Amino acid sequence: MPDVGAFLSDNAVTILNGLARGLVLFMIAIGLSLIFGLADVLNLAHGAVFLLGGYAAVQLAPDGNGFLVALAVAALVGLVLGGGMAAAVRPIAGRGHLDQALLTLGASYVLAELASLVWGDNYYSPLAPAALGGATQVLGVSFPTYRLAVIAVGLLIAVGAYLLFERTQLGALVQATVADRGMVSALGVNTSLVLAGVFGVGTALAAVGGVLAAPVLGVRPGIDSQVLLLALIVVVIGGLGSIRGALIGALLIGQVESLGVFLLPELSAFLLFGAMALVLLLRPEGLFGAPREAAG
Amino acid sequence: MADDTTAGLHRRGFLQRAGLLGAAAASPALLAACSGSAVDEGGDSAAGSPSASASGAASASEEEGPSASESASASGSGEALRVGLLIPTSGVYTLLGESMRSGFQLYLDTNPDAFGGRSIETIEVDEGETPDTGVRGAQRLVTEEEVAVVIGIVNSAAALGARDLFDESQIPLIIANAGANDITGAAASPYIFRVSFSNRQPNFALGQYMYDEISPEGVFLIAPDYAAGTEQMAGFREAYEAAGGTIVGQTAPPFAQTQDYQPFLAEIQNAGAQAVHAFFSGGEAVTFVQQYTQFGLGGTIPLLGSGFLTEGAVLQGQGAAANGIRTSLHYVSDLDNPRNAEFVEAYQSAYDALPDVFAVQAYDAAQLLDLGLAETEGDTSDMATFVEAMASVEIDSPRGAFRLDANRNPVQTFYLREVVDGANTYVQDLIEVEDAV
Repeated sequence: MPDVGAFLSDNAVTILNGLARGLVLFMIAIGLSLIFGLADVLNLAHGAVFLLGGYAAVQLAPDGNGFLVALAVAALVGLVLGGGMAAAVRPIAGRGHLDQALLTLGASYVLAELASLVWGDNYYSPLAPAALGGATQVLGVSFPTYRLAVIAVGLLIAVGAYLLFERTQLGALVQATVADRGMVSALGVNTSLVLAGVFGVGTALAAVGGVLAAPVLGVRPGIDSQVLLLALIVVVIGGLGSIRGALIGALLIGQVESLGVFLLPELSAFLLFGAMALVLLLRPEGLFGAPREAAG
Repeated sequence: MADDTTAGLHRRGFLQRAGLLGAAAASPALLAACSGSAVDEGGDSAAGSPSASASGAASASEEEGPSASESASASGSGEALRVGLLIPTSGVYTLLGESMRSGFQLYLDTNPDAFGGRSIETIEVDEGETPDTGVRGAQRLVTEEEVAVVIGIVNSAAALGARDLFDESQIPLIIANAGANDITGAAASPYIFRVSFSNRQPNFALGQYMYDEISPEGVFLIAPDYAAGTEQMAGFREAYEAAGGTIVGQTAPPFAQTQDYQPFLAEIQNAGAQAVHAFFSGGEAVTFVQQYTQFGLGGTIPLLGSGFLTEGAVLQGQGAAANGIRTSLHYVSDLDNPRNAEFVEAYQSAYDALPDVFAVQAYDAAQLLDLGLAETEGDTSDMATFVEAMASVEIDSPRGAFRLDANRNPVQTFYLREVVDGANTYVQDLIEVEDAV
């Protein structure tokens, strides 16, 4: 019997860091997952919104001051962009995934290219707010305070999203719309509005995630596609349209990317896809996804 | 124009990966098809339309190109010499390409009467960020633009991929960055010159210093898991172990995929490293250096490395986290020699910025061409003679004078630099490095 306590204390930094990474991923994956579950749209522009969030931090809080302003602006921009995307995909609803992929991919090009025109090809690394700048002693180890704050915010958002969806009428409405849109519509609910709301909130979360991740990962062209890839893996692992799935999937990938890489550094390039392949092999619908009749 | 091509290039890798993922997530055939077509598109635009710019007396337009080139290769002093500048103007190496263009252009502007009396007509083509786009750019310059010489190339795989093209068509290539050892090793050609460095060199130069001054044991090596990273680390290991040092561990984070180096930093700490020797470049150098400080290694385990860790645009991104890092490179802008003082002053007045190593390399590529043409009095009719003339010159570089070895790779002195207040500063000479031929 290996000593679990000793293992945890030896690897506390790595595990905590995996938690921080996982929770940032969750903020991106949740929108992606819900939008797919609800609107049956694989929104490939999600990564570009994350990138814009990063540039909001670069523009409004390069030295950490004004971080809250950057968060608010990013959330607002994300909300508007999400609403816009909802409107944009409406005319092509039911025309299959190719048309949607082309549309959202095109939107992601445009957004990333606009960002590149404004901010260039530089590497930016905005600072964390001064109050969260140093390191804190946690479980006997020194850990960057800012990443602890990311963990706290991520957990708050996860709990908030869970309560909203599972415990409120609004959440029930969204879930019902996911389950049977025609029926909900027949009851007199404007399902387009529900759809636009989920699009907007999901996209706003991605933008907020971009701001939060900026002091950790830096901001540069190309990070949008890296993050989108990770979020897609999370959604595949967790199952489409499931908040619980997005959370568990994100936490899992966070640990694969930290603890897994630390324990098996020579396999680090394969761990991510290995984890995804394993889940697909054992549960093709994802850990918490509802079984689907046929792949779309 | 440059912006149009950027889109295709940035997205290529992404499309391939998104296609892969989308295939798993939803609709395989559809996304795969979408990815395929976009890749082709990126490829076409990557080859790009070249932009011609004339310098000196030359004013030949693009349409006159082939005839100008024919007469150029037929010798004719006085005719403009068509020089292909193959540098990245899109993709992740864009900033590097800008430095190279500045350095190259500065030599043309400050030496209007050079080049053996020939005027230079520059044809610039985008190298892009992948080996494919680089090789296509080289082919375009050689076969369509019919240039007499090509200067540039950042990507090592592009340089190796284009090797046979230059070797067989007997068009000289002067490499101004790409560092793969093989370019002037196993794949050497009399027509391929390098005025930059081989991956081995900056690291080899640091081995003895690390042993003498930092730690005779317990050094940990870290670099991305691609060819350049492997070669850079091997160069250090060779010199450090020859000095008697022992390496405590080595790790290789996945190239272009790693966003978070914390697990690798934990590995370094667990190994009980006394010092770290690292190579990263571009965005990875920024992330690595910042996280090295964030996780508390900055104050406790000395970080040294290949100069690219802190060179050029990455230094601004690294901010205060870079202070104190010592690296080895063949150039630093505060190098104390008259040639460099003159160069830095001219560069600053032209571009309002301090030159980096990429600017110097392109500057010296132009200078090597100049010196070769001076030897033959502007005659390039016999390329075999012309390349021998270039191979034998000594280049009076801002980095200090250097010559080329039999494989046309620099034999040059490396300098220890330290980042002080966000700028690389000269500390001391290390050693002169000559690769085995």
